[in-house]
Amino acid sequence: MKKWLLIVCAGLLAVLSACSSGSADNTNAEGKVELDFWTFWGSETRRPMIEKLIEDFNNSQDEIVVKHTYVPWGDIWTKNLAAIAAGDPPDVIVNDIRTVKIRASNNQVEDMSKWVDDDLKDSFYPHLWDAVTYKDKAYALPFTTDTRMLFYNKDAFREAGLDPEKPPRTWEELKEYSDKLTVKNADGGYEQVGYYPNWGNFTTHDWMINADDGKGLMEGGEPTINTPAKKEAIQWMYDWKQELGSEAVQNMKAEFGNEQQDPFISGKVAMWAEIGTFYKQLEEFGGDLDYGVATMPAYNEDTKPWSTGGGFVMEIPKGAKNPEASMKFIKYLTDVEAQTYWGENNFDNIANKEATKQITENLDGKGAEIFQKSMESLEYTYLSITPPEYPEYENLVNPLIDDALNGKISVEEALDQAQKDVENSEQ
Amino acid sequence: MSLKENIWGYIFIAPWIIGFLGLTLGPLLFSLVTSFTDYNVTSQMNFTGFDNYKRMFTMDPLFWTSLYNTVYFVVFSVPLTTAGAVIVAMLLNQKMKGIKIFRTIYYLPAVLSGVAVYFLWMQLLSPSTGLVNTVLAWFGIDGPAWLFEPEWTKPALVMMKMWSVGGGMLLYLAVMQGVPKAMYEAAELDGAGSIRKFFHITLPMITPIIFFDMVTSTIGAFQIFQEAYVMTDSGEGGPSNSLLFYNLHMWNNAFEIFNMGYASAMAWVLFIIVMILTFLHFKLSKKWVYYESGDQK
Repeated sequence: MKKWLLIVCAGLLAVLSACSSGSADNTNAEGKVELDFWTFWGSETRRPMIEKLIEDFNNSQDEIVVKHTYVPWGDIWTKNLAAIAAGDPPDVIVNDIRTVKIRASNNQVEDMSKWVDDDLKDSFYPHLWDAVTYKDKAYALPFTTDTRMLFYNKDAFREAGLDPEKPPRTWEELKEYSDKLTVKNADGGYEQVGYYPNWGNFTTHDWMINADDGKGLMEGGEPTINTPAKKEAIQWMYDWKQELGSEAVQNMKAEFGNEQQDPFISGKVAMWAEIGTFYKQLEEFGGDLDYGVATMPAYNEDTKPWSTGGGFVMEIPKGAKNPEASMKFIKYLTDVEAQTYWGENNFDNIANKEATKQITENLDGKGAEIFQKSMESLEYTYLSITPPEYPEYENLVNPLIDDALNGKISVEEALDQAQKDVENSEQ
Repeated sequence: MSLKENIWGYIFIAPWIIGFLGLTLGPLLFSLVTSFTDYNVTSQMNFTGFDNYKRMFTMDPLFWTSLYNTVYFVVFSVPLTTAGAVIVAMLLNQKMKGIKIFRTIYYLPAVLSGVAVYFLWMQLLSPSTGLVNTVLAWFGIDGPAWLFEPEWTKPALVMMKMWSVGGGMLLYLAVMQGVPKAMYEAAELDGAGSIRKFFHITLPMITPIIFFDMVTSTIGAFQIFQEAYVMTDSGEGGPSNSLLFYNLHMWNNAFEIFNMGYASAMAWVLFIIVMILTFLHFKLSKKWVYYESGDQK
């Protein structure tokens, strides 16, 4: 009888071990190195693009074959960490630029510094390069980035008697223009709102950075939240909200979420902050909407038109089998040719400076105008980097700002409390 | 002979045992160990003693916010849904034409699945065009911006939960129909009206199911997560963190910033809270639950 038990157990063990045994190295039958490349680009527009880039790379040389694995946005980084823990990570992955330092400090990415020289470093925008380095070593190469700009409705400008070629350049002008562009309807609601600082893609944190002349909520790895300029930014938003009526603001926000059409395209809001890829949406759904694009207004005449941005990087997860081959592929993806292709077709801002220049030469019409503007905006774009010591700071700050904007506590109290809470959360 | 039978027995239940050890008990113990470390999914797993627990109770303001939000939700949603289910079941426990159609209608919401329902409710609760506020406006009430005002977000969710009392209703309906007719007849002979019959016959007879329903729905309510994750901007906990529930905070720690040690500690604290509450439920149940067949020990 025991024999039976033995056989059953042996069978189970065999099944279990079969599950865990992977090939020891990544070379395939033809002696080429095989790389597994994880992205979350599965959409109709992006998937063919990344696959074309991969195909071009595979055809360009005969040592490395890259295979694309699509992992949905919600899963990709969790799965990546699980795979790193299991010792079988992908060879290359696209990841968030704001958290490279966290992964570097947790030993989750390979150090690239031995393959990096000054030429490579100088081919990227400096603020992106800062984001991918930790303790003077590079842990990723930047791939794309973005920057928020102000899209404005030229027809609405004309109707309000404003010059459609002169977008607002300062906070003062923004408010003045918005007042002129705001139209009430018969029953007390709004036919059109000129602008409201907490809608669109440029909200509380962004305006705080804009007000503080490009200084973030975290500087040098330490919280800098309750500065006078940042308090002023929230106060400014609070006053604006009171003027429009907080109920009206909430109601409209709720409706934006339910409507099929974007509030800027439908003419509900005359000025709207978005990233460059908004152009694709305007092109597809905007009809004959006559619009312009500008850099975000500056705090006053003496400060710069600070915007904010994010982006994605290419990195090699810790424990990848062929880091050198992975690096070759990453270099290709971040080099001029691939970057130009990606930027031109996708309207993402790209990390490579030379490629950005080429794109502006290749584009024409509205696309060129927007891309040109985004390059201007990139000069003063702040990239919020999550410091490893305070991974949660946004979750602590946001509810207090909400409370301040809802008038529950004063702006002063809210930001002082936020500063204190974040300081206490150091890990 | 009996040894041989035992071995065969174990072989037959082996799939379950392996599943239990590998997929339930193993991870459970792992998370207990993890809760005393700074585990972050990849390399590090240093023993840190009670640091995670200390941080939770003394340094993390969001822990208290999330616990408050969750307890608030449990305190309001459990009694309301239970009472709602009993009342609906009572109304549907009548003999009249077409009652089956009504039973089906009231049960329908319980069939619809999660995320789609949340999206539906986001439309219903929309401040100026939503159905809820439109109906309130007929009575001259200016409805709030449900999901956007911190004071109204949790009541909105409790109200949403009321919509799906159909599941509990079905249980109550079944047990109500099992109450012996003789009791009602005897009560009628003594001149009892329908309210008296409900409080003195129906309600005591269905207390075991009420008890079961309360225990399971308390546990379920503590686990509230998806509603907040789906119905708030980028799943961050709603305005002023008014929808940051315990599990959402735990999830953020585990899968947003990969602080698994802390998240595991949170999970164990929740487990202990729910254990204590369930224990109290059982203790208190002796005072109000009636078992027809005598003491159920």
